[in-house]
Amino acid sequence: MGTRLALYLGLSMVAVLVRLLWDLRFAGPTLYALAAVATLAAGLWAIRGKPLPLAWLGLTIGLTGAVAGYGLPWLSLLIPLGVFVGYWGWAKHVSEKDLGAFWGWALVWPAVGLLLVWQVIPAFYALWLSFFDRFNFIGHSRFVGLLNYEILLTRDPLFWKAMGNTFWFVVFTVPIGIGLATLAAILLNEKVRLQGLFRTLYFLPYITALTAAAAVWDWIYNPEFGFLNWLLGTPGFQWLSTPEGIFARMLRPLGINLSGFWAGPSVAFVAVMAMSVWHFLGYQVVVLLAGLQNIPKEYYEAAELDGASWWQKVRFITWPLLSPTTFFLFTLSLIGAFQVFTQVLILTPTGGVLQDTLTITLYLYNKGFRDSNFSYASALAVVVFMVILVLTLVQRRVLERRVTYEA
Amino acid sequence: MRPKPLRWQALLGQAALYAVLITGSVVMAFPFYWMLATSLKSPQEAQQAVPVWVPERLKPANWAAAARLGAQGGSMWWGGYRAGRSVVLRIYTGEKGLEPVVTIPTPPAAFSDPRADNTRVETTFKDGRWEIALTNGGQGSFRLLPVRVYIAKSYREFHPELQPDSVSSRGDNWELSWSNLAPGVLGYVFHNFREAWYAAPFGRYFFNSFFTALTQVLGGLFIAAMAAFALARIPFPGKEFVFGLIIATLMIPGEVLLIPNYILLSRLGWLDSYYALIVPWLASVFGIFLLRQFYLSLPQDLFDAARIDGATYWTQLWRIALPLSVPGMVTYGIFTFLGAYNALLWPLIVTNSPEMRTIQLGLQSFIGEAGSDYGGLMAASTLSILPIVLGYFLAQKQFVQGVARSGIK
Repeated sequence: MGTRLALYLGLSMVAVLVRLLWDLRFAGPTLYALAAVATLAAGLWAIRGKPLPLAWLGLTIGLTGAVAGYGLPWLSLLIPLGVFVGYWGWAKHVSEKDLGAFWGWALVWPAVGLLLVWQVIPAFYALWLSFFDRFNFIGHSRFVGLLNYEILLTRDPLFWKAMGNTFWFVVFTVPIGIGLATLAAILLNEKVRLQGLFRTLYFLPYITALTAAAAVWDWIYNPEFGFLNWLLGTPGFQWLSTPEGIFARMLRPLGINLSGFWAGPSVAFVAVMAMSVWHFLGYQVVVLLAGLQNIPKEYYEAAELDGASWWQKVRFITWPLLSPTTFFLFTLSLIGAFQVFTQVLILTPTGGVLQDTLTITLYLYNKGFRDSNFSYASALAVVVFMVILVLTLVQRRVLERRVTYEA
Repeated sequence: MRPKPLRWQALLGQAALYAVLITGSVVMAFPFYWMLATSLKSPQEAQQAVPVWVPERLKPANWAAAARLGAQGGSMWWGGYRAGRSVVLRIYTGEKGLEPVVTIPTPPAAFSDPRADNTRVETTFKDGRWEIALTNGGQGSFRLLPVRVYIAKSYREFHPELQPDSVSSRGDNWELSWSNLAPGVLGYVFHNFREAWYAAPFGRYFFNSFFTALTQVLGGLFIAAMAAFALARIPFPGKEFVFGLIIATLMIPGEVLLIPNYILLSRLGWLDSYYALIVPWLASVFGIFLLRQFYLSLPQDLFDAARIDGATYWTQLWRIALPLSVPGMVTYGIFTFLGAYNALLWPLIVTNSPEMRTIQLGLQSFIGEAGSDYGGLMAASTLSILPIVLGYFLAQKQFVQGVARSGIK
């Protein structure tokens, strides 16, 4: 009986889904009618032998919703309503197990439906779209197989530029950010006066919207009257539009000339990175502080009895016991850093001089929504998905072995 | 027992600790100070090569003058320039030199109002000061009275009672200009805020942001709580499948969804509407996991007792599980609200009319439009972060615990 109910609910969900798909011209009306009939059949099966008036009423409402929803989309909402009315007429005659089946599906289906419609199916749709030629709503688009990927990976220097930039962003911001955050968290965990004030000051940037924060930093980086140039005594220095690589710039006085990828991220991009580290530090500090407070005090007391110094306590107790938290933060920051967008858009709206601050997400945005080349942008998105997936898996493999979990 | 470390060592350690913490705090807090300070600066102060630490508008000495001039023009607090009123500006010179020349800037100069053209100007000298009386001879009242005064460089010193917003050299004269001569105290201090507010429909932006964020929080909470309860407390066929689906969803990065969801929304005709801002993000895997964790930690006895009393799963969810998971819901609410309120990319893609802009999007386009008016831009930025920062100070504990909880799995 439980399985039948699950089927009934599942199929009514399918009816709503198909309604949506029909709207999207993915499937013909026939499919929709089929789904409506299937809903009814499953419903009849579910209440077989129990012809209770309310259950029948519910089924009728559900079916009306399914059929009328064909012309008037909002009437599709009658389907779940019918299901519920049907249930009330019928509930008193079912077993505990059936109740579980009914309620289980009734409660998860909004979430599952939304996840399917807005996340799972779109992910596959992106993959499907990436096999077409210049899809942009207008005109006919051709199935071209892997052509977009071929162009992307072999003939698109901007893609590699964006990849390289994003790579540098991850390599610079994640370890530096977590390193600084660990230091700050360990210090903030000591007994200090005004601890609350310090914590608030470190946390405040995180809750500030990136847009507003980037606007301030844009002003701090201003070459003519920005604060940073005044502080460093470098009037007129163009922080946000200097395309020279940071390594190349640092090593040039020593007579070493670097070029291309080895020149490192541009000065402009480093400025963006500094702003990002500043912004996300508070989040990392708070998460690490929570991790620190989970370490039992007894360990420190025991270590003190043995005469351990401050550094030894940090090195042999705090560091290993904090590693699960650090690992979690690392994974999260890695994925977050890979998706950097807002700061770059505000600070260098066009992707910087010579596209030196173009990141993957900005490139995707440009390709999809400025050039209206949705299929090419989809191919880009799929590649990003692959990279993030591989990164996460590799990281889990490599790092998890070194992470000490508490017994 | 090990001997206590020497006193000077402990002191040194403490000093180093505080030094690092204070340096860090200064770096973290400086941009906020700079945002606030700049939002109170006049355009000239904002564009000085040497930073202005305390803007003129923050100095109480100027407030009295601003209040007096504001009261003459309209009100002591917000100023204004009513029909028939006279505003008298005093410039202390000590000696009677060349008479200052007064002009009212005409459009398209910044901060000017065509109605100011009807202003009559009289200049008199008495008791060592020039008194410049400006009278509104027109029929209408208006908000800003922009004034420029040219005063000869032959004066050894001069001192206007209200500090001008900019001073520049014009041949044999100094050009003193005020963007509003009858400001009132609040109108003077919050000049940039008021101008930014009038320059863009920030009220609408705020409404859009709050509306979408709150709807997302409440709707998402409802959906996530139901799903989480079913996954944690109800045995049903297909549970493994649902759980697997949710885990799989976790791996999909946001970028992949931008384009297909945009296409979906456009086919549904939902672009540039609240649906587009709200619906795609209603179901949150984070929320389901978080609340599921809470429901799993509740003792089974509670639910057994309820069932014996005849409570359905629905009643158990509403009467037992939900009230006990308030901390989890607050965490979810704060995160979702922050995410929705601070989002830029998604609103940028799915909306295009000014009426549907959220505050971040409004700010983003304001950054382009404001040009070099950094005071106005910083005022707008301050406005945009104000609700969240105020919320943080009211519910500090929940904010911090929420973030902390997101890190403990």
